[in-house]
Amino acid sequence: MVDSKKDKRQKREEYRAALHQDDTTELPRKKFYRQRAHANPFSDHQLIYPPSPDQMDWSLMYPAYVVEDDKPADSEDTAMAAPGAETEAQSSDELVSSTEPKRLSKEVEVADIGCGFGGLLIALAPVMPDTLILGLEIRVSVTQYVVDRIKALRAQNELAPESNPNSYNNIACLRANTMKFLPNFFRKFQLSRIFICFPDPHFKARKHKQRIVSPTLNSEYAYALRPGGIVYTITDVPDLHHWMVQHFDAHRSFERVSDEDQNADPCVAIMRTETEEGKKVERHSGQKYVACFRRLEDPPFEEAEAEAEAEKKVEE
Amino acid sequence: MAVPYHVLKVCGEVVFAARGSTIYSFNSSLECISAWKCDVKPKAVTGGWGAEPSPAAEGPPAKRRRVAADQAPAVEEGQAAPESETPEKGNRRKKGSNFVQKSKPSDRPFVQGLYNTSDGCHLVAITGSDKTIWVFEHDGAGHLTQLSQRMMPKRPCSLAITSDNKTILSADKFGDVFALPLIFSEDPSDLKDVTNSPSSAAATPNTNSRSSTPTTTSKKPFQPQANEFTIHTKRNLKALENQKLSLTLKNTGKLADANFEHTLLLGHVSMLTAVLVAARGPRQYIITADRDEHIRVSRGSMSQAHIIEGFCLGHDDFVSTMSIPAGRPEILVSGGGDDDLFVWDWAAGKLLSRTNILERVQKLVPETSRIAVRHLFTCRPQEAADGPTWVFAICERVPALFCYELKEGSLHHVQTIPTPGNPLDIDYLKPVASVSAPRILLAVDPDISGDGTGRGGPSLLVLSWEPASASGGWHLASGGSQGPSGDEEKKGEQEGEDEISNQELQRILYTTETLRKTIMDDE
Repeated sequence: MVDSKKDKRQKREEYRAALHQDDTTELPRKKFYRQRAHANPFSDHQLIYPPSPDQMDWSLMYPAYVVEDDKPADSEDTAMAAPGAETEAQSSDELVSSTEPKRLSKEVEVADIGCGFGGLLIALAPVMPDTLILGLEIRVSVTQYVVDRIKALRAQNELAPESNPNSYNNIACLRANTMKFLPNFFRKFQLSRIFICFPDPHFKARKHKQRIVSPTLNSEYAYALRPGGIVYTITDVPDLHHWMVQHFDAHRSFERVSDEDQNADPCVAIMRTETEEGKKVERHSGQKYVACFRRLEDPPFEEAEAEAEAEKKVEE
Repeated sequence: MAVPYHVLKVCGEVVFAARGSTIYSFNSSLECISAWKCDVKPKAVTGGWGAEPSPAAEGPPAKRRRVAADQAPAVEEGQAAPESETPEKGNRRKKGSNFVQKSKPSDRPFVQGLYNTSDGCHLVAITGSDKTIWVFEHDGAGHLTQLSQRMMPKRPCSLAITSDNKTILSADKFGDVFALPLIFSEDPSDLKDVTNSPSSAAATPNTNSRSSTPTTTSKKPFQPQANEFTIHTKRNLKALENQKLSLTLKNTGKLADANFEHTLLLGHVSMLTAVLVAARGPRQYIITADRDEHIRVSRGSMSQAHIIEGFCLGHDDFVSTMSIPAGRPEILVSGGGDDDLFVWDWAAGKLLSRTNILERVQKLVPETSRIAVRHLFTCRPQEAADGPTWVFAICERVPALFCYELKEGSLHHVQTIPTPGNPLDIDYLKPVASVSAPRILLAVDPDISGDGTGRGGPSLLVLSWEPASASGGWHLASGGSQGPSGDEEKKGEQEGEDEISNQELQRILYTTETLRKTIMDDE
């Protein structure tokens, strides 16, 4: 038993090392990246995240969108970083640069929170070819799988653009605990879409606080989303669906998107069919529950009555 | 082991100083006026949570709770019946009782914070291990009348009182900020179910914290959330079966919920360390700091606190203390596990400056490699409206007080004042007729070594500002004001209330460094 475990780990390491050695176009195999499905969002993981969005270096993740700087000192680095340097981005400290990070021609606008093995990212990439999409995943191996997968897809496109027309330059994946660190990556109103697909249901009542949707976390989603932006949720657990609907409905920064609008949104169809979990649910002939919520404009700032009155008096 | 004074609050002419679970009041010459001792008897359920926190209403206990030794049996009785039903729960109970035993000595509720309303009519205290918020009426002369005690669902870390002196904001260890009315009414008509009243339902999406399920579901009996279609593994199916089984077995009495009004305003997924109420013109804000380096600025009105206006991001380690200087309402000073103190334009989320304080500490204690800023305190002597704005920093286990002056957006070092003990808290003493110089009151732990040998020295110190003297600056005041005196205080000592081991005292007094992350190597 112990031996076979060792073997497994060894095989895993060998496999990944081989994959990283050459610029392979071979897609990674999931079996070498499996990981326990749950992560404790409250523990202090060995996470890399920028102190603030301004210090986030996106250039390694979206090299095709790097703006060649006018500053001559930086241009060399940019050129070096551009081709295929994204491989080890997840595990290196370079992700968070101490100096001014290189700028991209556009900002990340779509976030897939808990992207898992990246099915949604890869399906969305050709649908929104000019939008930067980011998958966020808390599990190390799973994140690495998505990174390797994107890398292979990009390489395939480079080698044979005819048969692989999608460049996949607009998608990337990074390891993060979004429950804690979403504001470290995204500025206020930066995102237009947030996907929350098949989140960990946390069945036990005492684990409900670990759910990705809660009254207080919804405020953070509202912060990162621009008014008019959409939160997409899907789950196969009816009670979790009710939980999410209840909490977004109750949050005054959100309104439920009508069924009509929801069904007209191409992202909803992709979310239903293309996520890895979505496929799995289909195999088990389970139910899928979708709910989308629109980020509303913030109301005018409610000012303290006493002082507002005092101001009025001054005006009079 | 003598417990030093560890929390201070100056309220007009009166000084409140807490030592262990007792709050003493002193006059301006540090003569003891009265003492109030936290009552740890089980009757402490007035306005408290029942024997169990609310999540338990839904299923297994949410968390093992620390209970005072004399409360423990009651709780266990309450839990024994439902918990022995399934083997799994039996295990948990065992763990729980171990925990109670282990934590028995430290269960004395130490006063962790003292806050006063701006009119000085009320004093609010937090006690640690029993998660209780106490409200007192203050007659202005140092006499306290206890008005209420409310046991919060999670341990409060920091409080703020809104500018209208009507609401307490409690930031807890679990990351949530609750609003409580300052004056707790026991009138049953006021004890409306907060979650269901239309006004407060509008005020917050869900008054129950995310620790508990929404009230709507807790009204109906517990239903397993999974079904045979959503779970597939053997273990999960087994768990589901157990849930269903325990459902049929469990029809024991409804567990008490918090029976006082408290509204969830906002929350972080992190331990909160500080909360402030701030204002820019007529706009009120709530500023919260957490262990994960964030400072968040939310709207301050009860109905809009869910709107996040911005963040002050830039800390590389935990944030443990924040202060807005009087006269500079646009400025926020913050500190924590970083080597620097930070100055922010908080409304813009803009970092104005960083000032290295580790260097200052190293000049005094050269071997220091990292610091935990325990407390930042700002003040401006009232007699000089255009006078300097002072920022005092206390670093944990560093026997000195660091004095800075805030000029524009940066801190300028004024003086490092070595102290005969580790400073624990600080407040500004209002000038009195006999003393015109600005004075600072400092609570110190005279036992610098940490081995318990140094205790016995004075714990309350007065510093006065003597710019004219040869070595101008802050000086330890000499003579009688070195320590407090008074019968009440001596009585407290005679009662031997503080039989506490040095190790335990260290753990209770010095908590800032524990906020630093111990990174787990995970994959």
